[in-house]
Amino acid sequence: MKTVEEAKQDASYKSALTELLYQLADDDFIVAYRGSEWLGLAPHIEEDVAFSSISQDTMGHATMFYQLLEELGEGDADHLAHGRTPAERKNAIILEEVNGPGHYLKEPRYDWAFAVVRHYFYTLAKKIRMESVKQSSYEPLQHVAVKVNMELYYHHMHWKTWFMQLTGTQGEARERMLTAVETVLEDFGGVLTLGPKEDEITKHGLIEGEEFQRKRWLQEIKPIFESLNIEMPKALGMKRGNGRAGEHTEDLDSAIDTLTEVYRQDPAATW
Amino acid sequence: MDVLTSFERLSDEEKYEHFMKRIEAGEKIEADDWMPEEYRQTLIKLISMHGISEIMGALPEKEWVPKAPTLRRKLGIMAKVQDEMGHGQLLLRVAEDLMKPYGRNREDIMQDLFTGRLKFHNVFHMPAPTWGDAGLIGWLVDGAAIMTQTNMLKASYGPYARALQRICAEEVFHAQHGEAIIMALAEGTEEQKALIQDSLNRWWDSLLMFFGPASADTTGSSKQDITVKYKIRSKTNEQLRQDFFSKYVPRILSLGLEIPDETMHYDKENETWVYQQPDWNEFKNIVKNNGPKSKDRLDLRKNAYDQNAWVRKALSPDNQAI
Amino acid sequence: MDETGKGFYQEFEVFSKRTFKSPFQHQFSLLAPNEELAIVMAQENFMRREPVADIWVVKRSDIRMLDQEEREGLQRLDNKDYRNTKGYGYLKKKWRDYEQNMLDEKEILSWGGDD
Repeated sequence: MKTVEEAKQDASYKSALTELLYQLADDDFIVAYRGSEWLGLAPHIEEDVAFSSISQDTMGHATMFYQLLEELGEGDADHLAHGRTPAERKNAIILEEVNGPGHYLKEPRYDWAFAVVRHYFYTLAKKIRMESVKQSSYEPLQHVAVKVNMELYYHHMHWKTWFMQLTGTQGEARERMLTAVETVLEDFGGVLTLGPKEDEITKHGLIEGEEFQRKRWLQEIKPIFESLNIEMPKALGMKRGNGRAGEHTEDLDSAIDTLTEVYRQDPAATW
Repeated sequence: MDVLTSFERLSDEEKYEHFMKRIEAGEKIEADDWMPEEYRQTLIKLISMHGISEIMGALPEKEWVPKAPTLRRKLGIMAKVQDEMGHGQLLLRVAEDLMKPYGRNREDIMQDLFTGRLKFHNVFHMPAPTWGDAGLIGWLVDGAAIMTQTNMLKASYGPYARALQRICAEEVFHAQHGEAIIMALAEGTEEQKALIQDSLNRWWDSLLMFFGPASADTTGSSKQDITVKYKIRSKTNEQLRQDFFSKYVPRILSLGLEIPDETMHYDKENETWVYQQPDWNEFKNIVKNNGPKSKDRLDLRKNAYDQNAWVRKALSPDNQAI
Repeated sequence: MDETGKGFYQEFEVFSKRTFKSPFQHQFSLLAPNEELAIVMAQENFMRREPVADIWVVKRSDIRMLDQEEREGLQRLDNKDYRNTKGYGYLKKKWRDYEQNMLDEKEILSWGGDD
């Protein structure tokens, strides 16, 4: 097991470790942003409040991962969140996708079915990852994983309830849910992959390999899909590319623009 | 012979007398207690407007949630806007219980908002174009809101008083969240300092209007006398505005900001703040949904409500798959 | 079929415990289409800033509440000191005559030991 100092002295280890941390941090950061765009627009006021807690928790998790990077000398956590170009980001493409047509301030045509499916599938994947990094060779990451995992129980219960209930109906709602399931699965491979540096990441015992994670995810989702009479996916795709390799869509460009609008006015200032 | 005098057998006058006695004695009225129609109507109007204002109040600040300049600010403002929605939830539940005898529920509140029957606070019709506005709203608009809300903490209507208890406890965090943003800007670069002065200039009139007209003479109508009679509130609009000046003017000045009203001063003899009246015709116009951002914000709310109608339909209990 | 979606708004009362030791306390009410969704929304709506050890949601229509007349009928006379230790205060002096201390509430409840 390695400490911060030991990781810093082992170049190959540090490179694999920072790669994984960027993936974890950027995933949470962008999906929390997408969640925060829903604020005030959810189907129900009580749900708006509940959903916002999940977005806050998730942004809090991103902050913890950025802080781990800061400790490794990658720069200030706020800079890592705000000062990196889209091409430097390692998040999965499905997490950067817009919530629907329109803008969060003007005619948002947001799709609740997509929100439920994306968050449910992502939370399940995140739980699997956190379980795995609880055994990571990097000690500080283990500690963070234990903390993050504590909050995931509720996130999972929340999204699973919405998923089960809406998909379990008939008619329009079920149709919308099935369409969203299809859309999310087309790119969901991007969440479960470790990207071009997978071998280095697993070699150093930082997390279990992507094949293992994919299997676990499918194994978890199978009874859910069966109970709702949904066909199991043949593949978990990366239709629009691999975010871990720096491939992204315009959705990320405009998201980063918004996220950094004030920060960019004066990155050196205290806000 | 019936020796029992059931409450139901009392005449309306006797019930009213009983009701007023309870209020005078400091008792709390509960949702299913008998209450005069005027009391119920006043509460419905007051609380549904208060509740929907919290919901609409989330929108100007929502703009700044993703844009907040640091991770900590992003989290803080998200929590704050979430609270606004949460306060809306509490208040709408109180209003909904009051309108239950009329067979009305949240759906009707939303429709009343969209048709313009239900108004929301003047401040939430205004634009918030800079990060300075995000700070100023938290600091001064929430400060003004704390003034009006603490004034009703002892309201004779129990459910409202209990909701306000929860709300005011959280407002303390809101005020400090706003102060933290303002303080960082006030101690920052020249550009940052300019942001606050600019926001203060933009929001000053809205802040004065927030407390409502001093008397019915100003705008032709005011509910303040009825609310005082029924012990829903204790201070008048003008008393609250004066309290606000006393608490906040010295703070504003201490940060090196200027009040955008040259006539503003404290008259020691009369123990009142003298200030330039805002344009009350403009106020009337704004709350009729003719403010600069009224339409955009209503559209945003309506759009979200309509877009998600399928969710509510699908999960209505009489429409669930077995 | 409910075309308005009005049926979505069912009333639930929310109760919670702060710690495992504390009793359940009423928090507030919320609207939800069913108890499962009521329970996933309850904590974040009413207990965002405080510890929670347990949560109940109860459909309001399942609660038998008192009406106003019944509530006002809850008052009773203050003539029941035979029911309280107050009515037995004279024992303290009596026991003193026998050179014994009175086993009062404070004394008896201390027998359970400290927490």
